[in-house]
Amino acid sequence: MPDVWSIATILAKFGLYLGVLTAAGTVFAAAMFKLEQYRKLALGFAVVGLVSSIAAFSLGGAMLTGDASGLIDPEMLGLLWSTPVGTAFAYRLAGLGLIVFGVMLKRGGLLVSLVGAIAALLSLAQIGHIPDRENIFLVSALFVHLAAVALWVGILTPLDRLAQIPDALKEAATLGHQFGKVAAITVPLLIVAGIAMSYQLVGSATALTTSGYGQALLLKVALVAGLLGLAAANKLRFVPRMQSGDPDAAAHLSRSITLEWLVVAIVLATTAILTSTLTVPT
Amino acid sequence: MIRPIRAATAFIAVSFMATSAFAHSPLEATEPVNGAVVASVPTELFLDFKKDIRLTRVTMTHADSTSADMDLGDSKGFTDKFTIPLQDFGPGVYSFEWRGLGDDGHPMTDTFSFTVSE
Repeated sequence: MPDVWSIATILAKFGLYLGVLTAAGTVFAAAMFKLEQYRKLALGFAVVGLVSSIAAFSLGGAMLTGDASGLIDPEMLGLLWSTPVGTAFAYRLAGLGLIVFGVMLKRGGLLVSLVGAIAALLSLAQIGHIPDRENIFLVSALFVHLAAVALWVGILTPLDRLAQIPDALKEAATLGHQFGKVAAITVPLLIVAGIAMSYQLVGSATALTTSGYGQALLLKVALVAGLLGLAAANKLRFVPRMQSGDPDAAAHLSRSITLEWLVVAIVLATTAILTSTLTVPT
Repeated sequence: MIRPIRAATAFIAVSFMATSAFAHSPLEATEPVNGAVVASVPTELFLDFKKDIRLTRVTMTHADSTSADMDLGDSKGFTDKFTIPLQDFGPGVYSFEWRGLGDDGHPMTDTFSFTVSE
């Protein structure tokens, strides 16, 4: 059982992933599908991301001293700030800050938020054990992976909201259909990038089944496979039925999205564990 | 929704257990080596890491006494070899817990111990 600081770090990372990915994804979805109501959603998740990022950084200090004094120890935090973890933290604060700032603006805000969303995602691509290898290919693969995940997560709530409005059946069906077309490209990219990274990091089938990292990765893959099943059902069954005007299909879609959120949360929790306490097999 | 939530809880519990399959130690070697039984208390403790690290805290526990911070002196930079003065507490088990930061920004921690025979 990891110590209390490791557990707190996993929780903070979970909040960070959820906040950054959903905030960035909401902004992407808003730009791509011209969503009108995205501001509160983007703002809320950006704040979750900011709070969790600060907590995660501060917890890094506690990991260095082994007690609560490290949470605010200027020497420890200064030390962390000087490393790539500090650089990623700075990018993340700036990115999430820009998302919040953009949401507040009346005009041109979406563009500002978009720049922030990209910066915030880049900050996630900079950390982890991946830059250890100083491999530009891996960083790019991770960025593509994260952007595709973000868009997927970002569309869930706006789509769910539309599906719950009886008068907006047509609109919800259109959004679902449009996202389905984009996902036909981004989801395969997500999977290919994920496989490429796993191959680089884990390296062998033996390591995949015997190392803690490999096993956690397999769990994550199994969960994502379940998620894909749900998404496929939405795309192939519920959205076409909504397009033909079936209101029951919208209720099905809404339930399916709730379940998708739950699986996404578990996937992000697994990822937080993967990136916090387990290291890649050597 | 009860069933998925219960499944999620169970999954997270299992995941935490899986983390006990922790990473390899970033330590190349220690002197005295981990688990060694030595005849007398050495004057210095030597730590050799595989990669550069900035040690931030090393605590020592002798037998059942409470742990105390060790003096890391002026070693403030990132390096891979550390020599830390060791106080003589007589025979018994000397346990150490070290914490440090890798130059990639990753906090690391581990423990080791040796025994001084009667």
